[in-house]
Amino acid sequence: MSVFNDLKEAITRNIGRVMETGAQYSDARWYEDDSSEMLVLLDGNLEGNDTTVESGLGVRVLYGGAWGFAATSQTGNVDLCFDKALANAISASMLVKVKLDMGSKEGHTGSYTSPFDVDPIDVSLSEKVDFLRGVDESLTEDWILRRMLRVQIQRMIIHFWSSEGTYTQKKLINTFAHMTAMALDTDHQMQRRSKSLYCETGGTRGWEMLTNPALWSGHADRVKTELKEVLAAPEVDFGKRSVILLPGQGHLQVHETIGHPLELDRILGYELSYAGGSFVNLDSFGKLQYGSDKLNVSAYGSIINSPGTFGFDAEGTPERDYLLIDKGILVNCLTSRAMISEANQRAGRKVFTESGGASRSTAFYRAPIDRMTNVNILPGNDGTLKDIIATTEDGIIVDNPTSWSIGSNREHFHFGCEIGWEVKNGEITRVLRNPSYQGHTVEFYNNLSAVGDESTWVVEQVENCGKGEPNQVMELGHGVPVVKFDDVISGERK
Amino acid sequence: MNESIKKMITEARDMARSKGIKASIHMHHENSHLMRIGNNSVSLNTSEELTRIDIEVIQERKKGTHTHLGELASAEELFKMILTVSEKASKSAEMDFEPVLTVIEKSIELETQYDAALDNLDPSVKEQVYSAIFRNVGEDYNYSGSWSSGGTETFSVTTANDNSVWHRLTDQQFMCVLKHPEKMWELASWQTGWKAGDVKAEATIEEFKNILPVYENQDGFKVEPGNYKVLLGSQSLGDLVGMTVWTGCAGRTYEMKMGWTSEKSIGDDVLHPSVTVLDDPSNENIFSEPLSDSGMLTKTLPMIDKGKFAGLLYDRNTASKYKKEATPNAGCLAMQPGEGLADFLEAVKGEGRVLYIPAIHYMNMPNMSKGIFTGSSRFSAVLIEDGKIVSPIFSSRVTDQFENIFGNVLAISSETISVNTSNTYGRRAPSAVSVPTWMLVDDVKITDCADSF
Repeated sequence: MSVFNDLKEAITRNIGRVMETGAQYSDARWYEDDSSEMLVLLDGNLEGNDTTVESGLGVRVLYGGAWGFAATSQTGNVDLCFDKALANAISASMLVKVKLDMGSKEGHTGSYTSPFDVDPIDVSLSEKVDFLRGVDESLTEDWILRRMLRVQIQRMIIHFWSSEGTYTQKKLINTFAHMTAMALDTDHQMQRRSKSLYCETGGTRGWEMLTNPALWSGHADRVKTELKEVLAAPEVDFGKRSVILLPGQGHLQVHETIGHPLELDRILGYELSYAGGSFVNLDSFGKLQYGSDKLNVSAYGSIINSPGTFGFDAEGTPERDYLLIDKGILVNCLTSRAMISEANQRAGRKVFTESGGASRSTAFYRAPIDRMTNVNILPGNDGTLKDIIATTEDGIIVDNPTSWSIGSNREHFHFGCEIGWEVKNGEITRVLRNPSYQGHTVEFYNNLSAVGDESTWVVEQVENCGKGEPNQVMELGHGVPVVKFDDVISGERK
Repeated sequence: MNESIKKMITEARDMARSKGIKASIHMHHENSHLMRIGNNSVSLNTSEELTRIDIEVIQERKKGTHTHLGELASAEELFKMILTVSEKASKSAEMDFEPVLTVIEKSIELETQYDAALDNLDPSVKEQVYSAIFRNVGEDYNYSGSWSSGGTETFSVTTANDNSVWHRLTDQQFMCVLKHPEKMWELASWQTGWKAGDVKAEATIEEFKNILPVYENQDGFKVEPGNYKVLLGSQSLGDLVGMTVWTGCAGRTYEMKMGWTSEKSIGDDVLHPSVTVLDDPSNENIFSEPLSDSGMLTKTLPMIDKGKFAGLLYDRNTASKYKKEATPNAGCLAMQPGEGLADFLEAVKGEGRVLYIPAIHYMNMPNMSKGIFTGSSRFSAVLIEDGKIVSPIFSSRVTDQFENIFGNVLAISSETISVNTSNTYGRRAPSAVSVPTWMLVDDVKITDCADSF
């Protein structure tokens, strides 16, 4: 028998075995292959040349309204792994005030493969190094003190079985890349300008994505030019003004102040001991004016080639396209099955009708939790970046984060950015350095005064979203247009 | 880790050496358990038993590394993996410096911080501790938390010599958050240690009971932006000491001119004379680390000595690149105590209005060159007036410079505490920092405040 058939037999037999003990639900994820590669070229030196291959089994058992989870890298220990997960669930069920429930679903089968032409893991190291050296060369100048190129690629083959009879199989390919150039400014402070690989609408996720100059490497000249401008630029003065976020910054704004506060496990208080809570509560849905009526936000968004697109979540639920915020009103959030069941039970009404397919885990050895998929601000009707600048009296355009710090309930935030462009009376007047801005989330989004059209919309990738205990890093995407907010505190108080 | 695994690794090392391959092999085995609490219930109860093998191969000015997590049956299979990494290294790009293979100075077997009872702790013990807290502090509050515990076992060899290091230790990190279901404020209690009995329900019960009356009976205080006298608690100090040292005293950051000390020289006055920070593997508040990354026996090294910039830490490759000596550092930071009273309320009598910020949430650095950080207060933060706690404070943002925070010191506690700084991203890697229980600082910049906790 093949390894797959052996494991399938052992897993389905054990799922049956734990269900016979009185468990409510059980599922298992076998990562047949979780390969990743990280290449770091620092000042021309290939200092990072790392590969990782992981394989193993993660098992969940819901018993007495409580979750037990166990994982092993030794797939000869399937029975033991199920025993541990069951024992953990039984132990957990001794202290349960609100019993978790998965609801009931018909079993189904399905498969998903990320769109790609060339599997990046299969490309030879020599070809990868040659490509990176070419990009590095285009970033090299005497006055640039540091150059850093970082490429991370992933290939995951994941099988999922549940006690409801669901079986899904996924092959996920992810390709991430970042270029950063650094130099000392006139005050001897290190400044940087960077560009991350982003997704082309309708494109693919393989090696061909990385080597498409339009998506990454072709931006080297712009990165250098803008860095040079920053070095001699004045600092942003403290004050209130309009802030225009380019997608390189806008995606992180969405990530931290829309994505995270709309994860249902956070809303229900399951992240308080680590990532924090949310200012949103179950009464907010259908009522909270999260932003101005120009704000429309979707989950998943049917984006076919983002790291937040994966076919089926870690509970086998198909990804679903739906609105989170509709004309400024909060209408839905990022959900998994057990969380919506608890939310509806707590609210005493059906706040959520079905799982948003947002249950995800970073590896076989982590239990799934509520996660972002793609969280997107939909394009608006305020034209191009040029159009938005033309309607701005006093503002600053900012791009790419240098730092981000957010309040524990996501109610307030502070961002530092790589570059700012001052806008006065409808025109860009000069470059500014060390731009930063801060705000209170709901007030900030209600001051959203312009949303760029389709021409300004970009899907940015995030490969390092941290959450959960044990901690998990997740990959996802954000489709964002250029957006403008008025009356924002920017610069640092002296 | 049984002897057969050590034998397998040693045999594979010998095979590599016989082929002239310069390699290091590191095995990491973890037996991890984590109980998570949410809404007064166990929301997740996990066990992971994972074995990783890390291989590094160096070929003159090239290198390659690989990590394997999965089945591994024999020395031959491991040797094949080493050959694959060797092939990868050969196809790598030459660097302008020679990467350095770890040379293990002396064979070591260490398990002075290992407790079998903690390694095999029954999850029901955790459930009973949390239940006792809920029962004794009050079942009407909303509790959440997490309690990570487990054992880590590592075994390392390199082809440089026949020495090996085996290290086994246990660790745990306990946290409990109490939230008022209507008023929404949050209190937190942390405990750490390496023995099963180190976490005690009574300690958290007492901590919560001491501060609850203030939170129950006073409204939240909104802090207007401005400069304040701030009493930083141990969690805040743990984060700040770590960030200050890693952005100021790491050799790589310094050589790349990235950090807040890049314009300074060793011996310069950089912080207040009452501030001393060591890299101290002998400190009992910290999880031990017997060898540095280059394989040297770790030693106590001064980073900041009475306010002076005293030391830089060089890993083996940074040292090679910048032609420095690698340092025998452990990454075990210990800020030395001062002379302040252990009781922080007694200590701040006569100091007027003081903001007590025990923990800073989500710290980040908008400007590393200037050592500017930002983060917000969370958990049990209160306004103190003349040594009396008068009200809880709303979520307040601190945006300031390390040189101000550790430069405007008014007093430092004479007692130290272990702050667990481990995370559970990737593999189990226990870490902690030893800090005074509090530090009083003048002129700290509060730059924003929410209308809520």
